[in-house]
Amino acid sequence: MSATIAVSGTVPGAAKNIAASVQLGRSRHRTNTVVKSLCVLATALGLIFLASILFTLIVRGFGGLSTTVFTKSTLPPGSHGGLLNAIIGSLIQTCIGTLLGTPIGLMVGTYLSEYASGSKLGDSVRFVSDVLLSAPSILIGLFVYALMVAPFGGFSGIAGCVALAVIVIPIVVRTTEDMLRLIPVALREAAVALGAPKWKMIVMVCYPAAKQGIVTGILLAVARVAGETAPLLFTSLGNLNWSVSLAKPMASLPVTIYQYAGSAFEDWVQLAWVGALLITFGVLAINIAARLVLRVGK
Amino acid sequence: MSTTMQEAKMADNSHGGVQVRSATAIGAARIAISDLDFYYGAHKALKAINLNLPDKQVTGMIGPSGCGKSTLLRVLNRMYDLYPGQRAEGKAMMDGQNIVDPATDLNALRARIGMVFQKPTPFPMSIYENIAFGVKLHEKLSKAAMDERVEWSLSRAALWGEVKDRLNSPAMGMSGGQQQRLCIARTIAVRPEVILLDEPTSALDPISTLKIEELIDELKNDFTIAIVTHNMQQAARCADQVAFFYLGEMVEVGPAEQIFTAPKEKRTQEYVTGRFG
Repeated sequence: MSATIAVSGTVPGAAKNIAASVQLGRSRHRTNTVVKSLCVLATALGLIFLASILFTLIVRGFGGLSTTVFTKSTLPPGSHGGLLNAIIGSLIQTCIGTLLGTPIGLMVGTYLSEYASGSKLGDSVRFVSDVLLSAPSILIGLFVYALMVAPFGGFSGIAGCVALAVIVIPIVVRTTEDMLRLIPVALREAAVALGAPKWKMIVMVCYPAAKQGIVTGILLAVARVAGETAPLLFTSLGNLNWSVSLAKPMASLPVTIYQYAGSAFEDWVQLAWVGALLITFGVLAINIAARLVLRVGK
Repeated sequence: MSTTMQEAKMADNSHGGVQVRSATAIGAARIAISDLDFYYGAHKALKAINLNLPDKQVTGMIGPSGCGKSTLLRVLNRMYDLYPGQRAEGKAMMDGQNIVDPATDLNALRARIGMVFQKPTPFPMSIYENIAFGVKLHEKLSKAAMDERVEWSLSRAALWGEVKDRLNSPAMGMSGGQQQRLCIARTIAVRPEVILLDEPTSALDPISTLKIEELIDELKNDFTIAIVTHNMQQAARCADQVAFFYLGEMVEVGPAEQIFTAPKEKRTQEYVTGRFG
């Protein structure tokens, strides 16, 4: 093959020059320092923004934190209301939205990864899902408004859930497909070689192998919809009174923050900060809990 | 390599540096392959293969990379069915049934012909569940019967003693050699008739390799075995019959001793003595 080179005994190219290679080493060292500094700088910049947001949130939010926040619903300005209806409304809509969207997203992601490779239908579905992923969420709100609010003559909690589900689906589709594609061919073949039908291979071998990534994707989706405001404005609208009926307008933290933060009343603005703090730490708690669960499960 | 091994090798140099097991008569065919062609799309990867896998004996398949030996192994359990564009033509008969016939029930076939791959592939579950997974696909067993099957297969794979106290811990936590023996245990737990081994020790250290080779020697009492290997010594140590493949053709097949000491074909001679490959 490369016999002629090996036999001749000399390495092609100029003779080795120690001074030149020392010089080369130095210049590489300099380049390395420059690139490293730039990376550290960029990381620091990102962290500064994050820390500044968290710091402001904690300073402004903790001041208004009291038991009333969790025991009373939103009340007119000056009458010491809380956020109970918004907290419960957010929990209900996020949970139902995730429960509706996750199975659909999982199945579409599985279809794309396991059954549709190379097919035109698969490519189209993937494209549409990606477009949906980056669609402005207010459009999704308007879509569900046209689908579920206008025809039935009223805003409702369930319409809010559906809007959130529509946001959940493409996120779960993308992560499920990506995670399933990472599973080594050898693992799939090993399952098939034992005589497993394809669906058993997917459910019993691929899902457990991709569990961590898929769960992370679902949590990302939960975190994303927990803070969504725009899709809820046209669907569940918000409700100043206590209500857990899915057929009626339903309060939520993001919409309440949106309404309160822009108001002229000091106690409402204070409650908006508290709401923002609650959402942020709620999402943080979900992430930490999930990491712990996954670590125990391993 | 230790000095003693090198000395032993040199002492045996008359056979091209390869120690060959004592001559064994080649028995009746468990699988009879005749005029088998295989295509990856338009590329013909196997050309008119004729080969018998003798019952309860080990067939070693050797040859340079890309010669088609792994492809042939993957034909025998229809692994190629996973990939569109790959197809086989010809005959591979087992019990009067043609394996490559499209009408063959693949899951039933794979229960009869098990396969162990190059890299250990433990499933992301416990050691116990790894064994039970394959068994559950084909049989309904009580808990007690399943426990018994798990112990039996792990014992056959010389792994029971090492893992009996941690059957419920994840299989991913085992060493590479243990994982590969688990894969063998998982395969024999389904009680196949034929076991295909695709370079089963190429990712393992010498000690683990030795254990697997001893295992193969033990398993052939009950199973018909085909092993693909790049390691000539391994083929010589394990196989009763050796087939040499080159560029998609089967150049020569015969008892291991004959292939390594008196090959009929010049290409076989050159390959087993290390002159090309």
